[in-house]
Amino acid sequence: MTASSLELRSRFERRIFFLQLVAALLLLLLFVRVADLQWLQHEGFLLQAERNRVNVVPILPTRGEITDRNGVGLALNLVSYNLTLIPERVEDMDAALIRIKALMHWSDERMKNLRKRIKRSRDDRPVLLADKLDWEAVSQIAARLHHLPGIDVQAGTHRHYPYGADTSHVVGYVSLARGDDVKAGVLSSEKVGRRGVEHAFEKRLHGELGSQYEEVDAHGRRISAFKRTPSTMGERLQLSLDIRLQQAASKALGKRTGAVVVLDVQSGEILTLLSKPGFEPNRFITGLETEQWQEWINDPQHPLINRTIQAAYPPASTFKLLVGLAALQEGAPLAHKSTQCRGFVELSDRKYRCWKRKGHDKVDMHKAVVESCDVYFYRLGDQLGMPAISNVAQQWGLGQKSGIDIGPEAVGTVPMMGSQQGTRRWYRGDTLITAIGQGSITATPMQMARAVAAIANGGKLLRPLLLAGQAAEIERQIDVKPEQLQTIRSAMRDVVASVHGTAHRAMGRLAWTAAGKTGTAQVVAEAQDDEAQATEKPQKRKHKDHAWFVGYTPYEHPRFAIAVFVEHGGHGSTGAAPVAAAVVRAMAEAAEADGAKSDAMHADTSAGDEMPLGVDEGD
Amino acid sequence: MKSWLPRLDWALLLIMLCLAGIGLVTLYAAVHQGGIGLWQRQVVYWLVGLGMFFIVCLIPVRVLALMTWPAYLTALITLMLVPVLGDVQMGARRWLDLGVVYFQPSELMKWALMLLMAHWFAARHAASLKDMLLAMVFAVVPAGLIIIQPDLGTSLLLLLSAVVMVFAAGLPWRWATYGVVAGLVSLPVLWQTMHAYQKQRVLSFLHPEADPLGAGYHVIQSSIAIGSGGLFGKGYLQGTQARLHFLPEQHTDFIFAVLAEEGGLIASSLLLFLYALLISRIVTIASRAATRFGAMLCIGIAAIFALYVLINIGMVSGVMPVVGVPLPFVSYGGSALITMLAALGMVMRVHIESREKLPWQRPGSPFA
Repeated sequence: MTASSLELRSRFERRIFFLQLVAALLLLLLFVRVADLQWLQHEGFLLQAERNRVNVVPILPTRGEITDRNGVGLALNLVSYNLTLIPERVEDMDAALIRIKALMHWSDERMKNLRKRIKRSRDDRPVLLADKLDWEAVSQIAARLHHLPGIDVQAGTHRHYPYGADTSHVVGYVSLARGDDVKAGVLSSEKVGRRGVEHAFEKRLHGELGSQYEEVDAHGRRISAFKRTPSTMGERLQLSLDIRLQQAASKALGKRTGAVVVLDVQSGEILTLLSKPGFEPNRFITGLETEQWQEWINDPQHPLINRTIQAAYPPASTFKLLVGLAALQEGAPLAHKSTQCRGFVELSDRKYRCWKRKGHDKVDMHKAVVESCDVYFYRLGDQLGMPAISNVAQQWGLGQKSGIDIGPEAVGTVPMMGSQQGTRRWYRGDTLITAIGQGSITATPMQMARAVAAIANGGKLLRPLLLAGQAAEIERQIDVKPEQLQTIRSAMRDVVASVHGTAHRAMGRLAWTAAGKTGTAQVVAEAQDDEAQATEKPQKRKHKDHAWFVGYTPYEHPRFAIAVFVEHGGHGSTGAAPVAAAVVRAMAEAAEADGAKSDAMHADTSAGDEMPLGVDEGD
Repeated sequence: MKSWLPRLDWALLLIMLCLAGIGLVTLYAAVHQGGIGLWQRQVVYWLVGLGMFFIVCLIPVRVLALMTWPAYLTALITLMLVPVLGDVQMGARRWLDLGVVYFQPSELMKWALMLLMAHWFAARHAASLKDMLLAMVFAVVPAGLIIIQPDLGTSLLLLLSAVVMVFAAGLPWRWATYGVVAGLVSLPVLWQTMHAYQKQRVLSFLHPEADPLGAGYHVIQSSIAIGSGGLFGKGYLQGTQARLHFLPEQHTDFIFAVLAEEGGLIASSLLLFLYALLISRIVTIASRAATRFGAMLCIGIAAIFALYVLINIGMVSGVMPVVGVPLPFVSYGGSALITMLAALGMVMRVHIESREKLPWQRPGSPFA
């Protein structure tokens, strides 16, 4: 050992001593901190700990019910039994879940979702494992509850939709809160509206959480409850919908794919908003939402699309109404004259055919609407030019959202000369095609119903209203003269009333007088030249034309506008008009029933010349 | 064996057993509602750990010195493999696989780094500044790897224990001052590289009341638990904060709050006192060590224990931001406990060898 190593060693010991001093000082500081908490600040913390013995338990609100205009329930709350789990009270989560799985025969997929939800939720809050338990399941579980600490069967409510798929698009459905809802402050055991009215009016339907203060003992068991703030039930919403019309429309459409819209032409209230196929909202089961969802998403019929507002189709001949109005508004010469239909017009080596191959002979606007002559409208469109057509189409609400409360809404397409989609330039022939509602122009059934309502009510373009008792919202007054409207209206009347009218066979003998226009939208472009031939032989469904009918009733004092669209429904006269007829028949029956009811209630007051359709209408 | 047994340091053993007692009693209180299985497992971990302790006691210090580089390199390579393996083993069982791969390298690195630095400075009696800088590189590289995992607590512990070692090895005071200043200056840089949740923790440490149900919740609830315990505590198994689940992580990182709530200032200061005894005992053994490697080894181990205690209790009592560091011998957890007991085995070995009368320790030697 040299002197230098000796010196090194003593330096090492000095360093060790210093480090020990630092450690001792820091430990002393920790001691001071702990003593400060436990001695000097003890009283305050004791008080806080006492307060911690009180748990605040949320009380879930009851969701507001949804009814139709006559108070018929469309979304109700039924009492049911729910299976819940409080994570912190479960001793062995894996074992407990395995038992539940065996008892309820749940799938692995469902258990996986469940685990995810348990992980996400707070330890001391109940997690909803299943709702709508049937009696068998309740008794199965109840008998074994003592083996399953932390798991409980509780009475609660679940949402029930008595009309199922028929109201699925308009009413929507509810499902358990998801991650983003929870972030927005919704409890994970609460349900949130998805789609339709349930989604659009979530805030009003939801109601306010209540709370219950509970004193708990050292083991977390409830000793007493106090300071109960009851939850506030969500608002009951009365829709303008008339379920009788909705059902009649659904029945008339049957298994076909399509949409029916009925609007009150004065108020803009929606009486029918039906899209088929729908989805069965009652099939939603807690924990299985994603699978159900997948099934519907993969369905080739796309039951999740609300075809009344989310799908736009070529309006076909129904668009002739607007082209006719455009010609009258813009003062096109042909509007007040007649022309010769030989079954086609020729334009730069191409033949544009009328649906009637042998031609309509002499046609004026009235006859062209009644018999749906294409040649007349080819010529009219050519005279008008594209800018005038698109301008008027927009005036009447095409190419824009209707402003309905539920969404999302499709806007459709109104082609503008020079700005049509694609790089292709606009040819004169494109204007011809557009004039008969084919080509790139598209509209949603809601847009067509709105336009027809405006024709019926004197040019007032209304915002469609879903809630009953709302004041009419006029979006704009269209600049159209009464006599111009009358020209179109009388032609629409004869579409139904005249023996030559395209809707006469389906609607000519109804109790309520109706006016309207049929439309047949070509799905396959080549069919243009051979339509008459093509319709004779059976077509594959996906090549079959789309059928339209738009109209209003009664003719003399218009009350309701109707738009019927049937996907691959064939001809408007045979595919769509009968559906409209069924709806008008249902209107008459409903009015009669309501009239009889009000007669019975007020035996001394006579029913007016116009029978009220809804009990609350006109009040 | 006969000559080996009497040379054990009975004081160290006694401190160890006291910690075992207080640790198991506290853990029981933390988990007795529904988690008794955890307590039973911890008893098993103690038995395994004590076995490890005695096995390590039999390994000569010079053999430990041979293991330093292999241990360090193994730890470093597995640490680098973590992101790679982590990616490969995606899927439902990821956390299980990661439980083995993810946790071990950083845990091993703590001790391997300490061994390496002891070895490094033992071979360099008069370590130059360059030697010391190199030693810091040994620490900074794994600390960087751990911080991206991300595990702020462990990398902080790694760096601080390395600093202590370098200082003990004789870092000039001037440079120590520079180091402290540089550390303070680099704080904003560190802040920039931190994850959002780590920033959140630091912010909530500075203002826990700003978000009482969010990030500040842990610290507020543990402060209430400690403070409401008072001088004598609420009584064993009577702590309401722990019973009613207001305490987060009450059997791991926040277990000190359970002890303080139920045992009061008496119990919490007893535990602090036991830690002080343990650390000073290890330092005493260091100062008597036969070799410089042994001495540095003990200093490193004492530093790790001291840092564990300071960070953990500092965090639980609200004077440090929340970083996940267990309380030695008390928190639930097998691998941490077993490695700590193995480390104490090394300390004991250093002690045993210091009592073998080596030439310069015999009467007449300058060190005697």
